[in-house]
Amino acid sequence: MPESLTNHLVVPVVDEEDARETARILDDYEYGRITVVHVIEKGEGVPDKLPLEQAEQRASNAFGAFRGFIPEIDTETAYRRDVVAAILDVAADVDASAIAFRPRGGNRLVQFLSGDTALKLVTDADRPVIALPEETENE
Amino acid sequence: MSENEQELARDLGFLEAYTIGLGTMIGAGIFVLPSIAAEQAGPASMVSFFGGGLVSLLAALSLSELATGMPKAGGSYYYVNRALGPFFGSIVGWGMWAGLTFASAFYMIGFGQYLLPGLGEYVGFLAGWGQIGITVAALVMAAILTGVNYYGVKETGSLQNVIVLSLVGLILAFLALGIISGPTLGEFNPNGWPAVAATIGTVYVSFIGFEVIATSAEEIKNPSRNLPLAMIAAVVTPTLMYVGVMFVSTGTLSIEALATSKIPVADVATEFMGTIGALVMIVGAVLATVSSANASILSAARVNFAMGRDRILVNWLNEVHDRFRTPYRAITVTGIITLVLIAVGVGVGTLAEVASFMYLVTYALVHVAVVVLRRANPDAYEPSFKIPVGLYPIVPILGFVSCLAILVQMNLIVQAIGTVIIVFGVLWYFGYARDRALSTSLVGEAIAPEPTAMANGEGRYRVVVPVANPETERDLLRMAAASAHAHEDEQAEVIAVNVIEVPRQTSLTQDLTFEEERVERQQELLDSARDIATDLDIGLRTRAIVGRDAGSIILDVIEEENADHVLLGWQGTRSRREHVLGSTIDPVIGRAPCDATLVKLGPEDGRGEGDIIALAGEGPHAPVAAQRAAEFVSAADDASLTLLNVQPPENDSDEDLSPTERGEAVIAELAERAGIEYMSYDTKVKLAEDTEQAIIEVAQEYDTVCVGATRSGAISQAVFGSLPEKIGAEVPQTVVMARGPEESPMSVREAIMRRLEV
Repeated sequence: MPESLTNHLVVPVVDEEDARETARILDDYEYGRITVVHVIEKGEGVPDKLPLEQAEQRASNAFGAFRGFIPEIDTETAYRRDVVAAILDVAADVDASAIAFRPRGGNRLVQFLSGDTALKLVTDADRPVIALPEETENE
Repeated sequence: MSENEQELARDLGFLEAYTIGLGTMIGAGIFVLPSIAAEQAGPASMVSFFGGGLVSLLAALSLSELATGMPKAGGSYYYVNRALGPFFGSIVGWGMWAGLTFASAFYMIGFGQYLLPGLGEYVGFLAGWGQIGITVAALVMAAILTGVNYYGVKETGSLQNVIVLSLVGLILAFLALGIISGPTLGEFNPNGWPAVAATIGTVYVSFIGFEVIATSAEEIKNPSRNLPLAMIAAVVTPTLMYVGVMFVSTGTLSIEALATSKIPVADVATEFMGTIGALVMIVGAVLATVSSANASILSAARVNFAMGRDRILVNWLNEVHDRFRTPYRAITVTGIITLVLIAVGVGVGTLAEVASFMYLVTYALVHVAVVVLRRANPDAYEPSFKIPVGLYPIVPILGFVSCLAILVQMNLIVQAIGTVIIVFGVLWYFGYARDRALSTSLVGEAIAPEPTAMANGEGRYRVVVPVANPETERDLLRMAAASAHAHEDEQAEVIAVNVIEVPRQTSLTQDLTFEEERVERQQELLDSARDIATDLDIGLRTRAIVGRDAGSIILDVIEEENADHVLLGWQGTRSRREHVLGSTIDPVIGRAPCDATLVKLGPEDGRGEGDIIALAGEGPHAPVAAQRAAEFVSAADDASLTLLNVQPPENDSDEDLSPTERGEAVIAELAERAGIEYMSYDTKVKLAEDTEQAIIEVAQEYDTVCVGATRSGAISQAVFGSLPEKIGAEVPQTVVMARGPEESPMSVREAIMRRLEV
């Protein structure tokens, strides 16, 4: 019996706004368990760009915003320099069936400067990756 | 899990912390200042560098204690603000920010000097640009560094280690070859000891770097050992190097030659290392100035963050860029001010001295903060590193006095600029921060000192009650008083808080004048709270606050007051979309580090009075709910307490107990866990398949229902759980939802405390 693709989703979120949008879109579909992941970027050897307290605050705001739409979720906060690797590790830890995320637009330069996590996530993943559409069209 | 996470968040070992400090310390100071120092005090400026090192060592000891006691972003600013209040907080916050921008500008001009006149001797097109060229180079580099931090370009730890270690190697080689070449000192102290003392002020800018270690305290592994060690090592190593560099420099070149040199260290190196040596020193200086300025810009953004968090500064600055995940506004503003300072051209010496001045003021207050915190000994302050017994209070006293002594020796112009910045901080406090700084007790509010309050607040049970509605105020206060009385009859106190929320678009002052009506209502509300408290015979303080976001303000009040319990009213309607129970309730209930109770008021005369029933389930917070129920019963005149347990009618387990007996056992155990077994209470065991429905039915026979949170939230923002919320929404009577202290909201600090307590 093959596993359903949405049996257990790992959903990375960046901030409150992103979490809200992602949850809003996801809520239009059928899903099983959801583990929301927020990765706090660490310097690993150099001071972080964001104070830890502010970063953790962002994580908790993002989870809260997500719960506004989908209350029954598990949450994970990962601390890593490499955001994509952290997401993949969490997915492996919880044995997720797929990773669902909302790719964010932006021009080439911005994507280059921010490391184009979307591309890296898709290419590095060892399990299915679902890109959620920017706007829901099936209503 | 959460302890594990705390560990994951800490990724800096001793070596990293040390090189971060060292990388900031070895900057423009050692490459630019020898010329200015030599001019001012001759070879005796060695003593000035040594003195600066001693003063820093004292500050490092005090800072280590504070940083391990309160590992929070913001470093010295945070400690001073916490210990001495927002008045000094404003001064130090602005002072540190100014100090860091002046220092960045100083580093950048040092960069320009080494890049243009320095490299210009070897690379043709860099030569002959003069002072304007230096300024332009400094501006360009400062802009690049601002961009690097804005875009969150990640430096790597290994690159940093390589740069710092090669700088150390470079300076050691310089020292070794310089000493072998046999330097001969001229007149050791040509200008007398006052000049030497004044020179400490000039060179002190070379010592401000170790502060960066304190601002990274929450990222350091095993902080009780690594933090003080890294700080002390990051002060001692450069001090020895500075003294050595001064010795070699003043012994190799004449004072006049040094004083006119823009690139003193390279010029000295030419004497005994030849052109190659000089070139290497120039490259080293360029790297060093860039790394110092980079660290300073990031540190400045952290001071900004901490000030915004404490509402001493607009939080607007702390907005995080949604893509680059950097505090881009704070970084931009810091960068712009640095650019302005470079462009104004006040002279490299003055820039350095103003930065020194601001940091000496800061460290003077840091020493005071240590003494204040030791004496006040607040609960949250448990430093894992303490200034050793024999050295306290000598270290802070000596440190304070020496900082002041250097300050009074400094150049008049510098003192004037420094004073202007301090006065600005003071004016800022009176004009802005006093009415807004919510993190401290003095501010933005009308405190009514309560005569019954005891002078010493330690160990007192405090209940925070946000009040907004005159109709429910009395009941909420009564229930809070019941909880307070149950703990300590004499000393317990209730703190009534009212927040006037001002939308983001309007400025706080503007809104206030237009909305005098709301302010008046706030006053009335709090006046009547005082009357109610007199009736109830409970100590009460009121806090009236104007702010943007009631939830975070209430959380601040809870933390500041070190509250044991927060009790909120709820209208019983769930909000849609963004929030679960309400925009204020969600964060307070989710994150308050203390007991939290949410009360939905039912019909009158049954609000925490009359027949009270508590749900005795097996949930983690059921005992807390039972405690609340017991408190209400004890405080009311004629009230009864019932503990309810619901069991499935069919017993699947192998035990011989009937469902009713099992229910009784659960209740007895709960009473014991709640510590109310001495009270008289009825028990009720209901047999039903649908627990929820059964509870809702039974609950309607009583006046007040107490239910514990079913969700034990490892994550903040968790609300009570679906069962309590359903009861709250569906049962018309008064419903009290209770939970104990949140397990892991306060992150690093609390986790450390807990670990240390064991």
